[in-house]
Parts: sequence; C-alpha cells; structure tokens
Amino acid sequence: MNVTCNDRDRIFEDGTPEEWAALEAHASGCPACAEELRAWRTLSVAAQELRDYSESPALWARIERALVEESPAKPQPVNRRRWFFFLPSIPLGWQTAVAGAFVLVLTLSAGWIYLHRPIRNVDTDKSLLKSGALRDVETAETAYVQAIDKLAAEAKPELENSSTPLLANYHEKLLVLDSAIADLREQAGMNPSNAQLRYQLLAMYREKQHTLEEVLEAKQQ
Amino acid sequence: MGTMGLALPWEARISSAPRERGTRVEPFQHFSGGTSPAAGDATDEDATLAAACQSGDLRAYERLYVLHGARMKNVARNLLGSPMDAEDAVQDTFLKIQRGVASFRGQSSFVTWTYRILINTCYDARRSRLRKKEIANDDSGETPRPELRAPGAHPSLRMALERALAALTRHQRDVFLLYEVEGFRHAEIAGMLEITETASKNTLFQAKKNLRQMLEPPRSSGAEAR
Ligand SMILES: [Zn+2]
Repeated sequence: MNVTCNDRDRIFEDGTPEEWAALEAHASGCPACAEELRAWRTLSVAAQELRDYSESPALWARIERALVEESPAKPQPVNRRRWFFFLPSIPLGWQTAVAGAFVLVLTLSAGWIYLHRPIRNVDTDKSLLKSGALRDVETAETAYVQAIDKLAAEAKPELENSSTPLLANYHEKLLVLDSAIADLREQAGMNPSNAQLRYQLLAMYREKQHTLEEVLEAKQQ
Repeated sequence: MGTMGLALPWEARISSAPRERGTRVEPFQHFSGGTSPAAGDATDEDATLAAACQSGDLRAYERLYVLHGARMKNVARNLLGSPMDAEDAVQDTFLKIQRGVASFRGQSSFVTWTYRILINTCYDARRSRLRKKEIANDDSGETPRPELRAPGAHPSLRMALERALAALTRHQRDVFLLYEVEGFRHAEIAGMLEITETASKNTLFQAKKNLRQMLEPPRSSGAEAR
C-alpha cells in the first residue's frame, strides 16, 4: 500500500491498521510525516497523565448508604444472602458445620437483641408511634406476615422431611426465629406504639423471609 | 467491600473488544481481566447487570462500582477538576441510575447508559457550580480547576494538557478524555454522547489537532506534500 503526505490526516482520523503501517513506512523517509506521527502519538502518551484510578476507600460505602436511603423498595443489604451462594460447592459435612455455626450465631444475636432491647420510659420515648402511623404499621405488618406464612407453607414439606443436614439446620434456625418473633410480638402487644420493638420484629420477619427463600432455592438446586 | 473476590455471574466488560489501532496503549487491561470474551458474552453480562440493578439488588450496584467506579471517578475528575466533586458526581450518578433503571430498555448497553448519566451529571454539576459562582477568577467560566492528581504524574505536562483541554469544545474534550484517557472505543463513545461513530472519530481528530497546535505548534511546514 502506498500512502503520501496527503493521506496523513485521513489516516489519523480513521485509518485502518494497514494504512497506519503504510504511513509509518512512509514516515521513515519523510521527516515532516515522522514529526507529525511523533507529535500525534505524544498526545496519546500525555493523556495517560490524566489517568488516576487510585482507590477511594470510603466512596462505595457512601454510595451504598445513599442507595439504601433513597430506594423506595429498600434493596437488600449486600451481605444478606451472600454466604448462601458458596454452599452448593461445599461438602455436606462442612455445610452442616456452617449452618450449625450460623444457627448458633443467630441464637446468640437474637438473645442479645432481646436482652438488650431498650426499655424506655413511655412518656419520654421519641420512637413512639402515633396512633395513625401505628394503624398503618399494623396493617402493613399483617400483610407482610401473611405473605411470609404463604412462603412458609410452600417450604413446609421440604423442611419437615429435612433430607439434608443443611435443611435440618434451616429448620432449626426457623424454629429459633419463630420463638424470637413470638417473644417480640408479645412485647409489642404490651407496648404497641414502641417503634424500636417494631423494627426488631421487622428484622426478625425479614430474616425468616430470607431463610424461607433460601430453603426454596435449595430445593430447586 | 466484600464481594471483590466473588465470582458473580456478571462481568460487564465494556472495553473487551480490541481497539481499532494496535499502536495505542491499552489503558484498561486491569478492568477487562486479560482474556477477551466473545462480544455476545459481554452483551449478556451487561444485560444481567442491568436486570439485577432493575430488581433492586445492591450487589449489582456494587458490581457496577467494582468494574467501573474508578474509571467513572476519573472521568468526573477530568471534567470537574476536583476529586471531591468527582466523588459527589459518581454518587449522584448511582442514585440517578437507581431512580431511572426501571425505564432502561436496553437501547444502548447498560454500562454506556451509566456513563451517559455520569457525563450529564458532571455538566450539571459544572453549571450549578457556575451559578453559585464557586469558580472564582476564571475568565472562561468553563475551565476545570486542576487539583491534586495521581502521585507520579508529570505535573507540568498534566497541567499544560489540562489547560489545553479546557480550551476545546465540550464535545472535543469529552471524546478526547473518553478515548485517549479512559480507553473507550468510538462505538462506545458514540453511545455515551449520543453521536455517530464517524462523528466521534472526527471529533477526536479535531481535538487532537487543536491540542497539537496548543501544546506543540508544528515547527515548519516546508517539507510537506510529497
Ligand atoms: Zn510525508
């Protein structure tokens, strides 16, 4: 391929690799094109000076917080079910150990939350729900509980058979959750406008929901 | 960030295809992970990432950040001139993605769409900064304020380039930054800036011609035209 000085700009703009090679060959005997080629490439090299991909350690955490705060659907926090995805590749014995450890941690956490729940003076507690809001919360809670019950009904046969140690541990975990939920509901029943208790209850329901989802996912695999 | 090492099903690699010219330095090898997957795989991964973001899965947003956060921040810093403004712009971009992802219909690639949002966010930020008269002693009013950059960068060359870039048109600056600094292909840039691929190539050519004039005027044109 033969190129001349007149082809230079066109090749700079949209040349094929062959045309670039031909221009380089031409430039080896043409000082003007050699100089232009050098200057053109120098710009690309200089552009590297504007590249800084250094880490911003706190940026993702900040973005994640903003996403969660703004999300109408409150997306699942990232850690929620991540551990579960490892399980299919882990031998059964380890699955048992992992699930057992999880149940233990959950039991301890539930106990801790229960024992350390804030018992505040009803009159000064700013987290009290006003009666209108309380009605809304109760309505939403009822709907949520019904939805979880549906999920539980779907997972029931699988859990009752508990064909693997993993499922047996899920079963145990759900029993622990149900008992924690029952306790919290009792507390909430005595003090229906305590928002703190409602949040704790909601967290327990969420955990139950996700555990049931995991049971159903495990069933599909 | 816990999922860094996790093998999630998606790997949106926007710059996985080879660049047009073998002579250029490929700037994004560490993002594309070495081997070039088939274009179809990249498309599938892009669609998977979009669908996961649409479902509200925070892991998908985190994945997008892991794959593109650093590059997004660099684009924003080069457009806004300040690392702090750049971080704000990246955060705003993620929020806008979350707000708008339901309406994303796959007209372009998801990642291209996110960069389009980022670039618009940066220009919105520049405009609002102008309105607030935060840019003092800036005669053009459009020039980014260069601040601290990567350690090791050549300060005088960088500053000269930044000054010259500020004198380009918005499109010339965008295309130069996206192509030469960030390593995007013209097809990708076309999608981000909503122009044709030919326009992207032509704009890059004009940008480089102008930069060449500003940074290093041709010494003579006597030996031309063989
Ligand atoms: Zn020549």
